[in-house]
Amino acid sequence: MGEVIVITSGKGGVGKTTATANIGTALAALGHKVVMVDTDIGLRNLDVVLGLENRIVYDIVDVTHGNCRLKQALIKDKRFEGLHLLPAAQTKDKTAVNPEQMRELCSELAKQFDYVIIDCPAGIEQGFKNAIAGAEKAIVVTTPEVSAVRDADRIIGLLESAELRDPKLIVNRIRPLMVKKGDMMSMDDIIDILAVNVLGIVPEDEMIVVTTNKGEPAVLDNYSRAGQAYRNMARRITGEEIPLMDLEADTGFMNKLKKLIGFK
Amino acid sequence: MLEFLLRVFGKNSSSSKNVAKERLRLVLVHDRADVSPQLLEELKEDLIKVISNYMEIDESALEVNLDTSDNMVALVANIPVIRMKRTAKRSEKIG
Amino acid sequence: MKKAKGSKAKTLFEQKEETDIMTGETPDIQNQVTEEMPAELASILDLEVGETGNRIEFEEGEKVPVPEKLSFKPLVHKDPWQQAFVDENTILIKRTVRSGQSIQFDGNVVVLGDVNPGSEIVASGNIIVMGALRGVVHAGATGNKEATVSAFKLQPTQLRIANHITRAPDGDYLSPDHPETARIKDGIVVIEVYQLGQDRQTKIC
Repeated sequence: MGEVIVITSGKGGVGKTTATANIGTALAALGHKVVMVDTDIGLRNLDVVLGLENRIVYDIVDVTHGNCRLKQALIKDKRFEGLHLLPAAQTKDKTAVNPEQMRELCSELAKQFDYVIIDCPAGIEQGFKNAIAGAEKAIVVTTPEVSAVRDADRIIGLLESAELRDPKLIVNRIRPLMVKKGDMMSMDDIIDILAVNVLGIVPEDEMIVVTTNKGEPAVLDNYSRAGQAYRNMARRITGEEIPLMDLEADTGFMNKLKKLIGFK
Repeated sequence: MLEFLLRVFGKNSSSSKNVAKERLRLVLVHDRADVSPQLLEELKEDLIKVISNYMEIDESALEVNLDTSDNMVALVANIPVIRMKRTAKRSEKIG
Repeated sequence: MKKAKGSKAKTLFEQKEETDIMTGETPDIQNQVTEEMPAELASILDLEVGETGNRIEFEEGEKVPVPEKLSFKPLVHKDPWQQAFVDENTILIKRTVRSGQSIQFDGNVVVLGDVNPGSEIVASGNIIVMGALRGVVHAGATGNKEATVSAFKLQPTQLRIANHITRAPDGDYLSPDHPETARIKDGIVVIEVYQLGQDRQTKIC
């Protein structure tokens, strides 16, 4: 039986879909059988982030309504053999799926895959309830902003009352220089407030925009620091012990200079 | 000017990150209490149980709320008393 | 799915009341499915109807205001050539079809505007887009292999004609500036420069 993990955040735009695409791809790159499920019905995005939008014939609503077999709706990734996507419906309503159907779907997928990664819509309404219904574990994505951390706290509370204990946190879009200057909350500040375990930290990385434009997850780019962060997270999910990234390693003019002239 | 210098040299206790953290902490105390209205309801029932041992109260008009002021959160209860009980809890226990 | 022959401007939406989508009878087109279609795709013809979050509806019997001078006489077709000009059903959509919108129509669909990614147009007849076609389109959805899809800029996310499904190749490709038409030719979907005056253009179903 595979693991069913939901990736959620409460607030929109903090990087849930990017995290899902990258963690899913990184797990597949490690040789696991992975399926990513987009539950954002009506506002699907995971397909474009992965560059698979033109292969969609059936979607999650078709599966839950029995219009097609599960296998028919699963889209194979073009890069990794073991990576699959179950897309959300775009022209349907959020109420087209209910939590009971999601539970069934997730347990069916867990039989066939090592990891079932669920991309949750923003908000705490029906879509959120659907997304977490079949999950056994949860990952909460936040950014070092007051609004995102507050929403993350709300989500952690809701996850706990839904028996999803011990969610793991991803702190996305950290700017090490601003943290150093005291103008941005650090990972420790956020942990201090939320009191949960960390899955990983992701530095702000402009390359994410470029890779998303191309429909290729950042983990495929060996030079991307965000990609590296997500590769580490995938290995932590599989149970490996990987230390958190040293965000300051590459920052600061002096450090770069030292590196350049061989002091480091 | 002083603020500028403090900013330049960092280590400023009112750096924007600390402001953010402090604001968050406050907001979360309220949020977390807010999360469960049923918790307040339970508290209300427990209060009624205890207080009823000593006095007769107007249960329908009872109000229990969490109040947020500038930098603290308080539990505010408004309990209208109808009549004091002469026989205290002890006698009930015996009876 | 009952065919709306004879009745005018009957949309697929209205059929929601007639047949339940989940349990309803399968359309006759299912019987027309030929061997060349993989079983996987067979049920694509069993299209979902009216389950859209944001849809455009057309009321039956809704009349277009007509100036008094032009009395609206039913066309009488004595000559065969006259009859050839008359389609069963065609709707004109004078706006851009946006993501999440789904137009499903039993007949031809003409769009004066763009068809954006994330939207879909499903028609039993032809689809013509006087603009950029970037969404999902399905012409000849009830099995008509003669149906075509034409657009000023033909760049669909996915293009389906009858029981054939195609998509753009992966990677970069040049998109031409001239209008194009997609049709089934010798069992595969081909994309051609849109041409006027050719015999096959006038014979479109």
